[in-house]
Amino acid sequence: MEALKLKLKQQIIEALNLQDTKPEDIDDNAPLFGEGLGLDSIDSLELMVLLERNYQIKVEDPREGRKILQSVQTMAEFITSKQVA
Amino acid sequence: MKAKCYIRGCAAISPQESFAGHFAPQLLTLEGKSMMRVKEPDYSGFIPPNSLRRMSRVLKMGLVAALQCLRNSNTSVPGAIITGTGRGSLQDTEKFLHNIRDYAETALNPTPFIQSTYNSVNGLIALQQQCTEYNNTFVHRGFSFEHAVLDSMMQLAEGNATEVLTGAFDEMTDEHFYIKSRIGYWKNELTQPAELLDSNTTGSISGEGATFFLFSSKPSDICLEGIKMVYKPSGEELQQALQAFLSSQDIAAEEIDLLVSGRNGDTQYGHFYDGVEGEFSDARVFYFKPYCGEYDTAGAFGLWAAVKELEIGPAKTVLLYNNFYGEQHTFMLLRKAAI
Repeated sequence: MEALKLKLKQQIIEALNLQDTKPEDIDDNAPLFGEGLGLDSIDSLELMVLLERNYQIKVEDPREGRKILQSVQTMAEFITSKQVA
Repeated sequence: MKAKCYIRGCAAISPQESFAGHFAPQLLTLEGKSMMRVKEPDYSGFIPPNSLRRMSRVLKMGLVAALQCLRNSNTSVPGAIITGTGRGSLQDTEKFLHNIRDYAETALNPTPFIQSTYNSVNGLIALQQQCTEYNNTFVHRGFSFEHAVLDSMMQLAEGNATEVLTGAFDEMTDEHFYIKSRIGYWKNELTQPAELLDSNTTGSISGEGATFFLFSSKPSDICLEGIKMVYKPSGEELQQALQAFLSSQDIAAEEIDLLVSGRNGDTQYGHFYDGVEGEFSDARVFYFKPYCGEYDTAGAFGLWAAVKELEIGPAKTVLLYNNFYGEQHTFMLLRKAAI
């Protein structure tokens, strides 16, 4: 799980071009939107694409997406659950 | 069209050190290929970091040139935003098309798709300045900027706005340079800007830039008095159009003391410039393409150079003539206004 979270942080930084942000700057449980990284709705679409491209996971329901993209922790848990299934 | 369109301010991001507003054109030394790239300013003082990270190069160039123009004009919210671009955001368009191919039309990033639309720069300016007025982008190859100017002049003449932010932006990418090189747009051999006009070969040097003006109906130092566009004329038709334009502006050729010429060193279209320049044997000629390169909206840099020449003096009446690969021809008349 720890390795997955680190990888996710690196992928988020690259996909969203978060200049001057390092993986260690992102708290596992900090909210990705609003506070924390301060991401917006376009970023949420970019994160959906990230999941699809890198983990072959397609999130169809936007309400489900809102829960999954709360933090790096929730994203990692979701990916792990899909991989186990 | 004949109208009084005063230029209250301008800003240019170009291959020259133009952003600071100085006019000290330098002939650059190119390496590798006949391509000039803009000197990008520090964008961080203009755009919030969270927005900056998402923007492609031409979006940053366009937005910041527009914001600097507004600053130079002491204006915050213009009465209209009107721009022209020949190619829009090429970088985003190419990224999006590559994604379609690489991911078999699935999992496409939204950002390059959104930003590849031609009116993205206008939208960003409007959002940043909270401007809900008339907003339009013209995409007509070598007439893109010129139609933006024409629309701006009409908006002012009809009283729809008293101040219009008018501009142009175009970028060049390596991939697009290659595509256009295959249809003869550029010199086959590396050609230096200093040699451009004497190269005696076809093609030109590729350029790029973002240039903005604040046009106003309120009198100020420099006035754009007229514009005329001519599509695919013969040499004779171009001469007739020039005479008709001068006549409509009530001005004789002898009164023009500076001709700003868009001659681009391509021998296929040199005869158009020969004909026009021949009508103004007493005028000084300033060739702007060796300083900015050739691109769809290079005429905007030509207009910026004309404004700077009028600011510096001694020129008081300037005619700008430009054509884009022999198809789209434009005349613009500028004067130092007597306020």
